[in-house]
Amino acid sequence: MIRRVSAIAGAVFLDAVKRRVVYLVLFFGVVMAVAIPALPSYGAGVQSAVYREMALALTFAAALALTLGLSANRIPGEIERRTIYAVLSKPVGRWEYMAGTWLGIFGVVGVCILGFAVVDVAVGWLVYKEVMFQLFEGAYAIWLEMGVLAAFATAISGVAGAVVVTTAGLTFLFAGHSRGSLFPPGSTGLAKMLYPSLDAFDVVNPVAHGSGFGPVYAAVMTATFLGWVGVLLLAGSAAFARRDM
Amino acid sequence: MSDAGSAAISIRGARKVYPTRMGLSERVAVDDVTFDVAPGTIHGLLGPNGAGKTTTLKMLLGLARPTAGDFRVLGASSRTPGGRARLGFLPEQPYFPPQLTGDQAMRLYARLSNVPASEITSRIAELLEAVGLSGRGDSRLSAYSRGMLQRLGVAQALLGRPEVVVLDEPASGLDPVGQRDMRNLMMSLRAAGTTVLLSSHQLSEVEAICDRVTILNRGAVAAEGRIEDLLNVRGRTSVRVKGAAGGLPPAVVALTDDVALSGDTAVFSVPDASVRAAVDALDDAGVAIVSVAPKRESLEDYFTALLGRSDSSKEVSS
Repeated sequence: MIRRVSAIAGAVFLDAVKRRVVYLVLFFGVVMAVAIPALPSYGAGVQSAVYREMALALTFAAALALTLGLSANRIPGEIERRTIYAVLSKPVGRWEYMAGTWLGIFGVVGVCILGFAVVDVAVGWLVYKEVMFQLFEGAYAIWLEMGVLAAFATAISGVAGAVVVTTAGLTFLFAGHSRGSLFPPGSTGLAKMLYPSLDAFDVVNPVAHGSGFGPVYAAVMTATFLGWVGVLLLAGSAAFARRDM
Repeated sequence: MSDAGSAAISIRGARKVYPTRMGLSERVAVDDVTFDVAPGTIHGLLGPNGAGKTTTLKMLLGLARPTAGDFRVLGASSRTPGGRARLGFLPEQPYFPPQLTGDQAMRLYARLSNVPASEITSRIAELLEAVGLSGRGDSRLSAYSRGMLQRLGVAQALLGRPEVVVLDEPASGLDPVGQRDMRNLMMSLRAAGTTVLLSSHQLSEVEAICDRVTILNRGAVAAEGRIEDLLNVRGRTSVRVKGAAGGLPPAVVALTDDVALSGDTAVFSVPDASVRAAVDALDDAGVAIVSVAPKRESLEDYFTALLGRSDSSKEVSS
């Protein structure tokens, strides 16, 4: 089981590498170099905090584009090109295929986000002479959130085309960060408790304006990620199992 | 028909209904298809376009959900991943990720086919050689010709040393030499005890190598049986003679209505009961008899006649 899932994940990873997705990291570095001079001039400490905010925002935007681009197209593309026949006719379960696809995308996104973070930290050190290790923590949170988004998009992509997946993915992301505006601060109740929120991954404040988040929060965030991914992939696999190829 | 319990492939009551747009009506693609494939044989699955061959195969392989039916490979349900562990499949048009090399694709499929890690490299080399792609494993699949992709498709189907192989149009895209190689490969698989289910439009290929055939038409089984039983024309014997340039003796002409004359060779058929009389008349006329054998249709003629019948009544031979 693990062997088949990892084989599919490896194929997704290899495919992304051959399609030169890694170039996105280089492009990201160029964007960072161009963006730095555009930052407004503040006091020394404030300016580095603004830089970290911008770095996190750009990392998030690049990771979002990459995640949706990969997960919206992978399964629909395999079905359209019929490359999926040679895979699913083997002793491979549909859930293994979906889990392997997600794992491969999660891996590619992780490598790229790590690349973005290295660029962020390097530019921060060059410009502000400050080693901003907390940006790696921010990158970790973004990676986990993109993992959840990839699970959602992969699950939907088993039964829908790329446009629907992309639209649904963006809606999911928007809804996942809307709990604060839908429920007033201090309100309680079952609806708020059950609302599918992605706010656990919002770490801009501690990363940009503080010294990062602690290991306990990292563990909570990781548990949230695992719960989301598990539920989404189970639901997606159940729907995908009913689909005719 | 073999016993379902001992069959290498058993399909029972296969039915597939597709809802049409808005779900207001439905289209029956496959309707109560039942047949078995005996172990160690080559079984042909024939039918015109839209007959339900590919849908039946997809249901067998777990690629499509049957509306009803039971699908078994070596006794295990082929709808489950475990049930496909001893099965190899060549899709009709083998599509593979074009950015991978032949080796990379084979390595992926080997891992999915549960080939032990220690055997993968040698197994890939062995199969690439067997299908004539030795030395081409480093090339990207985007640079492969259609025939090379077809050969790679066969190689990947055989990776897990399957006991049952399903081949959907294996000769498609191959040149005559490739088609001959494919035919030899299928016969060597049979000789090694592997069961082959062959879906093909190439009737000559099916006639040459299949032990039994199932013919589908409009989603249902139109005929099934051993090739010779289906093609032998009951009650008539075919006679081939030489030295008949001047025509057949009147006694023979009276017995037949299907004389084909080419040069001094003639081929015709007579009722089984009249064979002795025809042979005597030919001997008396000094015409040389080349062969006397049960009359046999070509599969093409049989196929065309079967599908042309308006009643589409099912024929089954033992």
